[in-house]
Amino acid sequence: MRRLDRPRRTAALLAAAALALAGCTDGGDSTGLPADEGAGPASGGDGVRLGILGECEGPFGGFHEDVVGGTSLAMVNHAGAQVESATSALDGFTGAEVAGTPIELVGIGCGDDTADRILEEVRRLVEQLGANVIIGPLSGDEGIAVAEYAAEHPDLTVLSGISGSQEQTLQVQAPNYFRFFGDGAMWNAGLGDILHNQEGWDSVAVIADDYSFGHTSAAGFIAEFCGVGGQVDTRVFPPLGTTDYSPYIAQLPGPDEVDGYFWAVGGTGTQAALEAFVNAKGDLTGDQHAGNLFFNPDLAQALGTDIAGAYVGGFATLPGDVTTPAIEEYLASADETWESLPGGVSGNEPAPPSTAAAFGFFYGYYSAGVALIEGLEAVEGDVSDPTALHAALSDLTLDLPYGQVSLDENRSGIVDVGLSQLVVDDDGEIVQEAVAIIPQVDQSFGGAFGPDTPSPSRDFPPCEERDVPWEGEAIPVVDGVPQR
Amino acid sequence: MAEADTTDAEPDGAAPIVQVRSVRVAFGGLLALRGIDLDVARGERLAILGPNGAGKTTLFNVIAGDIAPTGGTVAIKGVDCTRLPSRRRPRLGVARTYQKARTFEGLSVADNIYLALAGHRRRHRVPWRSAVDRRMRAEAERVAESVRLGDHRGTAAGALAHGQRRQLELGMALATEPEVLMLDEPASGLSRGEREHLVTLLEALPEAVTVLLIEHDMDVAFRIAGRVVVMADGETIAAGTPDQVRGDPRVHEIYLGSEGGT
Amino acid sequence: MRTGSTVNRRTAALLPLVAFLAALPSMAPAFFINFVMTQTLMLGLAAATIVFLAKYGGMVSLAQFLLFGVAGFMYGNAALEAGSRGLNLGWHPWAAVASALAVTTAAAFALGALASRTTGLYYLMLTLVYAVIGYFVFAQITEISGPSGITSIERPELLAAPVSLYYTALGLSVLAYIGFRALGRTAFGLALQGVRDDPVRMASLGFNVPLHRTLAFALGGFVAGLGGLVNVWWNGQIDPASIGIGPTLILLIIAVIGGVSHFEGAWLGAFVYVLMFTYLRDLPLIDRIGITEARFNTVIGAIVLLIMVLSPQGLAGIADRLRRRLPRPRRPGAERPAKTTGRLTRAELIDE
Ligand SMILES: Nc1ncnc2c1ncn2[C@@H]1O[C@H](COP(=O)(O)OP(=O)(O)O)[C@@H](O)[C@H]1O
Ligand SMILES: [Mg+2]
Repeated sequence: MRRLDRPRRTAALLAAAALALAGCTDGGDSTGLPADEGAGPASGGDGVRLGILGECEGPFGGFHEDVVGGTSLAMVNHAGAQVESATSALDGFTGAEVAGTPIELVGIGCGDDTADRILEEVRRLVEQLGANVIIGPLSGDEGIAVAEYAAEHPDLTVLSGISGSQEQTLQVQAPNYFRFFGDGAMWNAGLGDILHNQEGWDSVAVIADDYSFGHTSAAGFIAEFCGVGGQVDTRVFPPLGTTDYSPYIAQLPGPDEVDGYFWAVGGTGTQAALEAFVNAKGDLTGDQHAGNLFFNPDLAQALGTDIAGAYVGGFATLPGDVTTPAIEEYLASADETWESLPGGVSGNEPAPPSTAAAFGFFYGYYSAGVALIEGLEAVEGDVSDPTALHAALSDLTLDLPYGQVSLDENRSGIVDVGLSQLVVDDDGEIVQEAVAIIPQVDQSFGGAFGPDTPSPSRDFPPCEERDVPWEGEAIPVVDGVPQR
Repeated sequence: MAEADTTDAEPDGAAPIVQVRSVRVAFGGLLALRGIDLDVARGERLAILGPNGAGKTTLFNVIAGDIAPTGGTVAIKGVDCTRLPSRRRPRLGVARTYQKARTFEGLSVADNIYLALAGHRRRHRVPWRSAVDRRMRAEAERVAESVRLGDHRGTAAGALAHGQRRQLELGMALATEPEVLMLDEPASGLSRGEREHLVTLLEALPEAVTVLLIEHDMDVAFRIAGRVVVMADGETIAAGTPDQVRGDPRVHEIYLGSEGGT
Repeated sequence: MRTGSTVNRRTAALLPLVAFLAALPSMAPAFFINFVMTQTLMLGLAAATIVFLAKYGGMVSLAQFLLFGVAGFMYGNAALEAGSRGLNLGWHPWAAVASALAVTTAAAFALGALASRTTGLYYLMLTLVYAVIGYFVFAQITEISGPSGITSIERPELLAAPVSLYYTALGLSVLAYIGFRALGRTAFGLALQGVRDDPVRMASLGFNVPLHRTLAFALGGFVAGLGGLVNVWWNGQIDPASIGIGPTLILLIIAVIGGVSHFEGAWLGAFVYVLMFTYLRDLPLIDRIGITEARFNTVIGAIVLLIMVLSPQGLAGIADRLRRRLPRPRRPGAERPAKTTGRLTRAELIDE
C-alpha cells in the first residue's frame, strides 16, 4: 500500500518534464533544431529536384500514367530527356537539362483525390525527398491544399497539374504557385454567349453535381449566360453518386417552360441522369440541351440522334477534330516517345500515346512541364534564387500546342477554350465537332469571380447581367480549322 | 427525487423490512412466479427452499430489482420500490449474491471488493485516488481476509477457483454492511471446510442483519434459518420453522423426497 | 498494492523513452520529426482512445476519428476570421481551442449517451453509423465544413515553429498514456472495468452503468479532440473526406496492429502504419515485386493480417510475450497480474 504513491509521483514528474520540454521550445524559432529549419525545400542546390503529384488511387486513379506522361513528354521535347520505359510513363525520365541545369525526377506522389492525402504526398516529396519544384496536383480540392502548402513554403515552386478549382489561385494567391491552364468555370466559357445570343435561349435550368467541381462548372456557365442577359430559372444539385435521379429531374421545369437545360453531371451519373430525364420529360433534343465536358457521346450514351446540334463545353485541350500543325507535331512526338501508354482514356489498356496526350489530364501536366523549362531558360538555369524563377514564370507567355497561355495577376492561366457541338457523322453516329474557340478566357468572368467572392456553391454566383470580356469574340472553327 | 423519498422514509420497527405482495412474473407464456406473498422481519434469517425452477432466483431478482415483476408490489423498509432500478437498491441496504457467481473477471479480488465498497459509498465517478480510497482499499483487503481470500487479493477474479469466486461474491456482499443480505445458493460448489466457514461467517453477522438465503444444502439452511419458506412452481407451498417444514408431507413429496439429498 | 509495482515499472521504463523522444529533434532529420513522428503521435493519441474504451469499457468505438474531426472542424470554424469557408467566427485561437474541445466533448457525451445501453457488436455497428452519419453531416452541411473543407487554418502563435507541434503531440501523448493508465486504478476506472465485465452486477452494486459508459465515451472524445486539434494544426485544413470511412478504418487498424489491450500499442501501431505508408515504397526494387503505391492498402492489409495471425494482441502483445518469456495462463481481460499474482494463479490452476 505504501508504494501506491510512487507511480503517481513518477507520472507527475514525467508529465512535468514533457511539458517543460514542450514549453521551452514552443514558439521559439531560434532553437536551431533541424526540425525547425529543414521543413522547406532543399534550397541552394544546383539543380531542379522535381516531384510530380499524380493520382494513383481514388476516382482519378486511372490517370496516373497520363499525368506523369505529360510532364515526361515536356522534358523529352524541350529538355533533351529520355524516358526509361517505352510502355509506361511511371518509370520516369533521365537526362533532362535546361541551360546547363539538370532536372532530376526525385519522386512521384500518389494522391487519392483527398486533400489530406495530397498534403502527405507533397510533404514527402518536399521534406523527405528534397524536391524544390512540384508539378501537380490533379483534382480541385487537392489544388487548394497544395496551394496553401506552397504559400507556407515560399522557396518551393509549384506548377499545378490539371486541378480545376478557382480558389487555388483566385483566393490563395501563393506567389510560388502557377497554373498554366484554365479552371472548371472557364472550361464552359462561350456557351452562355452562343446559347443566348445565337440560339436565342432566354431561360435555362441547370443541373450539376453537388460538389466543388459541379458547382464550379455550373458557376462558369451561369456567370456568362446571365452576364449576357439570360435567366437561370432553376438550379438542381443531385449529390455525387446518386443512382436514381428521378426526384431531381422532377425538380426541373418541363421542356415547354424553359428554353433549355444545362448539364454538369459526371461519372456514372451522366448516363443515369439523362435516362431519368428521358423517362420523365421526353426525348433529348439538340435545340434544348447543352452541357459541360461530361456531355459527350462517349459518356452520355443515352443521347439519341435527336441530340445533334447540342453544344458542349471545353476542357484543357481542344476537340479532337481540330487540327493545326502544332497539335499534329505534339501528338506525333508522344507517339515517338513511347510505343504505347496504358492511360486512363484507353481504360488503362496499352494504347497509342497520342490518345492520352490529346486529353486534358496529360496536357495539363505537359503544359506545366513546358512552363518549368521556359521559366528555367528565362533565369538561365539559375535556381539558387527561387524568387527570380517565380518572377520569370509569372511573366511567361507559352505557345502551347492547343493555344497560347499567359498568366493573370494571381498566376492563373488566360487560355483559349474550345467549344463543340454534337453532330451525326456519316455512319449515323453522334460525334463531337469543334465549332468555336473562345480566346483569352480568364478566371474573373468580367468580375463575377474575385478574391473576395465566395467559392462557387449551390447559390453562387447569383444571376446578374455584366460585361463578359469575350462576348462576341468567338473564333469559328470550320472543318477543324480555326478561322483566326 | 425518488432516492430522497426512499432514503428519508422512517423505517417502522414493526413493519416487515421486506414485503412482497402478490408478485407475479411471466417470461413469455411461462409463469415463473404466480402470486408470491412474503414478509420478512428485520433481523430475520429466512431460508427459501424449493426444487430447481421453482422461481427462487426470480423472486430474488424481483426483490433486488434486477427484473421488474409483471404484477404485484415489493416494499423494502416500508417503501414501495417495485419499479425502482436495481442500482438504487443498495441505498436501501440491499446486497445480494448470484447463483452463478458474478464477479469482475478482469479485476483482482481486492478490486472486486473495492468496487462493492465504492458503489456503496457512492464514489462511483471519482477519477483520482485519495486518502478515502486508501482506506477503502485497506478495508477491501480486510474483507478479503475475512472470506479467506487474503492470499489471493491480487489474483484476477477470472483466475479464481469456483469456490473462491463464491467466497468473493460473499465478500462483495458483506463489504457493504447490508441490512438485507440475499444469498443465492452460497454453499453450492464449496468444499466441506468452506461450508463450515460460510456458516460461521453468517452466524457471526450482527443480529440486525436480515438474511434471505436460497440453499439446497439442508444442513447449511437449517443451521442458519429461523424460518423456512418452500416454493414450487412459482408458489409458496409451505412455511414455518425448520422443524415444521421438515415434517410437512407436501414438502417431502415435492422437494425433500426427490432432491433433498443434493 | 501488488499491481502498483507493475504500473511503477512500466512508468519508469517510459522515462528514458520520453527523454529520447524529447531529444530526437536535435538528432533526426526534419522530415522524420515533423512528418513521421508528429503524425505517429497524433494518430497514436486518437488510437489510444479506442484502446481506452475497449480495454477498460469493452466498447469498441469506430466514432473516435469522427470526434477527432469534429474538433478540427470546430477549431477551423472558430479560428478563421474571413474567407468563404466555414463560419468564420474569428475567435482568439485559444478560445477556438477551448470551444473545439467543449463541442467535441459535448458531442461525445450525446453520442455516448445514445449508445450507452448497447454493447459488443451492436456498439461497434452503432458507432460505425455515427462515423457514417458524421461524415454526411459535414459533407452536406457545407456551412460548417467548407464547402469542400476548411482551409488556411493557422495554429496559435505559440505553436508557430514546426517542431513545436511535435512537442505538443509528444506532451499530450505522454499525458494521455500516463493519465489513462492511472485512471485504471481509480474508482472511476475500476468501475468502468467492472461495467465491462458485468454491467448487471455493477448496477446491483449501485452504479449507474449507462452514465458511466457515457462519461467514459465523453472522456475518450475529449482526448480524441486533442489529437484532432494537433491534426488540424499540422495539416492546415480539414475536409469531410478527412473523416470518411477510410480514415476511420485506418484508425481502427492502427489500434488493432498495436493491440487493443495495451495503451502503448496505440502509438506503436501508429508508428508502424506511418512508417509503412512513408517508407515502404522507398525500399529498393519494391515495385518490381508488384508493391506500387496503388497497392498500398493491399500491402497494409496483408501486414495487418500477418500481425493478427501472429498475435491477436497486436504488436504490443508480441512485445509483451517477448518481455516475459515465461508462459503464463491468460484469461480474457486478466492481464496485468504482477509477479506474485502470476505465481499464485499458476499454483491454483494446479490445485484444480
Ligand atoms: N430470464 C428468463 N427468461 C425466461 N425464463 C426464465 C428466466 N429466468 C428464469 N426463467 C424460468 O423461470 C423459472 C424459474 O426460474 P428460477 O427462478 O431461476 O428458479 P430457481 O432459482 O428456483 O431454480 C424456470 O422455469 C426458468 O427456466
Ligand atoms: Mg436459482
